[in-house]
Amino acid sequence: MRILVAEDEADTARFVSDCLQEQGHDVLIAPTGPEALHSGLTENVDLLILDRMLPGLDGLTVLRRLRAGDVKAPAIMLTALGRIEQRIEGLDAGADDYLVKPFALGELLARVNALARRAASVDVVTHLVAGSIEMDILRREVRRDGRPVLLQPREFRVLEELMRHPGEFVTRAMLLERVWDFHFDPQTKIVETHMSRLRAKLNDGGLPDVIETVRAVGYRIRNG
Amino acid sequence: MVRSAAYRIAFVSSIAFALATLLLGAAVYYAAHTALERQMDAGIEQASSALESEFREDGIDGIREAMAQRASRTPVSLGYALFDPSGRRIAGGMDLPRPDTGWRRIRFLDPREGPDPARALVTALPDGYRLVVAADLAPLEAIDRTILAIFGVAFVALIGIGLLGTLMLGGYLRRRLLRIERTAAAIAGGDLTPRMELGPSDDEFDRVAASLNAMLDRIESLVVSIRQVTSDLAHDLRTPLARLRNQLELLRERATDSANTELAENAVERADEVLRMFEAILRISELREGNLRHRFEAVDLGTLVEELGEMHAPIAEDEDRSLSWEAQRGCVVRGDRELIAQALINLIENALCHTPPGSHIVLRASCDERMVTACVADNGAGIAPEDRERVLERFVRLESSRTKPGHGLGLSLVKAIADAHGAAVEMRDASPGLEIHLRFPRRQDS
Repeated sequence: MRILVAEDEADTARFVSDCLQEQGHDVLIAPTGPEALHSGLTENVDLLILDRMLPGLDGLTVLRRLRAGDVKAPAIMLTALGRIEQRIEGLDAGADDYLVKPFALGELLARVNALARRAASVDVVTHLVAGSIEMDILRREVRRDGRPVLLQPREFRVLEELMRHPGEFVTRAMLLERVWDFHFDPQTKIVETHMSRLRAKLNDGGLPDVIETVRAVGYRIRNG
Repeated sequence: MVRSAAYRIAFVSSIAFALATLLLGAAVYYAAHTALERQMDAGIEQASSALESEFREDGIDGIREAMAQRASRTPVSLGYALFDPSGRRIAGGMDLPRPDTGWRRIRFLDPREGPDPARALVTALPDGYRLVVAADLAPLEAIDRTILAIFGVAFVALIGIGLLGTLMLGGYLRRRLLRIERTAAAIAGGDLTPRMELGPSDDEFDRVAASLNAMLDRIESLVVSIRQVTSDLAHDLRTPLARLRNQLELLRERATDSANTELAENAVERADEVLRMFEAILRISELREGNLRHRFEAVDLGTLVEELGEMHAPIAEDEDRSLSWEAQRGCVVRGDRELIAQALINLIENALCHTPPGSHIVLRASCDERMVTACVADNGAGIAPEDRERVLERFVRLESSRTKPGHGLGLSLVKAIADAHGAAVEMRDASPGLEIHLRFPRRQDS
């Protein structure tokens, strides 16, 4: 995947691009707003990572102009500080996701992967499969090896998020945003508790665990 | 009024004035009375000795004549009587039995006014005769009464005026002080912006108010700079800390054995903890700076309480506590859903953390015409009343809970969020346990 990283802090830019390259992505770096706009319009990129504060032209304007120029690649906006308002502005300008700096690398990678997958599957998915687990989103049914598993609504949503990205990490923050609509870390065990109940229900009867936890990164469901 | 120094001072001073007047009255009375009495005695003595010498020189007839002469003089100021050795009155106009010799207080029968008190000098004359010269006490008593009346009226008037003055002065002092007191209370309540009112007269109160204002300016600038330093520190440390965290994450990915992976994981988690703490500090200062109001929208506290209840019931269950919720319909406030959620989550976490196992926690959303209230109640140990205010201060954690994890910012964040919404945080004794209420003003629909 070709990813444009528009970031003026050389340290951060290099670090991000190193990690993305390690994951097998092709990275273009633009240290200023005009350069980001130029690369975005001329190069055929699959994903945009834009810092909100760019010299020359700020990230929001760059994104608006790219959108106006019919660039549809999903965009992640990087915002300084925990400014609550900037999130909304970013999303209004056409960003698909946002991250508050300083961010954990795992968080960025998880979001890049999630957006990449979303860009790839345009169709509305109503049926998800991950290994032995099947999910019918419309009928809100989950089966493991064909046997129904009864889940609470939030547990269902957690599982749905995992199954939409099989084999990839979904972070705690992503689950909080998507399942509970919280764009902050409530610093409670909400995610852990629901995850452990979900696991218990999925693994009922001593079946092997299908959800993998990596501490300080997130969760992923085994895809096979 | 008993506890008002202003009233007390004014009251005591007016009582002191009244007592001074009373003392002055007594002195004037005594002095006037004594002087008049002396004057009267001198007149009596003079008349007595004159009559006595008449007697010695001209005998009975001489004194009788002199007495008649004196009695006919106007105005009549003295009365006379002469007794023979057998005790019979033989001369003088005063009708009385023969008294003993010396100074006497006597009563004689006034032909017009009836019995009258008088002061008399009774002198023994040669051959067993006895002379009585007396002055009517009525004029002296009249003067005494006048003096007493004047000072009595003055005393009563002084008490009256004093009481009125007490009320007025006390009321004035109280009004002036009350303004200072109100401002000070608002500042103690956490709002550092109000200042003492300054009057136009530049009197003692204005000068005290001015110096209090100067002190408040100084305190405010110190508090602001402490907040600034804290948030700057949190902000500046966050970036290097995040880099450190990312490098630790790389280290974890590259770790070859499980022991190193575990070490790196722990290190990443420790870094996350510090980052979260900084985030809370920054969030508090962001809230304190304000400017959030313009993006407030309608938030249904009932729905929020239900969501949070569903979310936390399993957590409570895992921690051997129970959680239930009661939500009234139509409890809508203007605010930020996530911030209010965060405040309530902190309160729930707090309740989970500071109650013994087996405790029950209740979330409640209720409202009336004026207020919308969200409440987190538990039946645990509660907080001592003297600690309640302190609990909301940043970083303050009560001694008894020091052993439990947590960075002590939870309740400060609740307070900051409440302030940003114009809501009040109230702690109440639920006996047993603690109830924390977030009281929002009813949403003003325009």
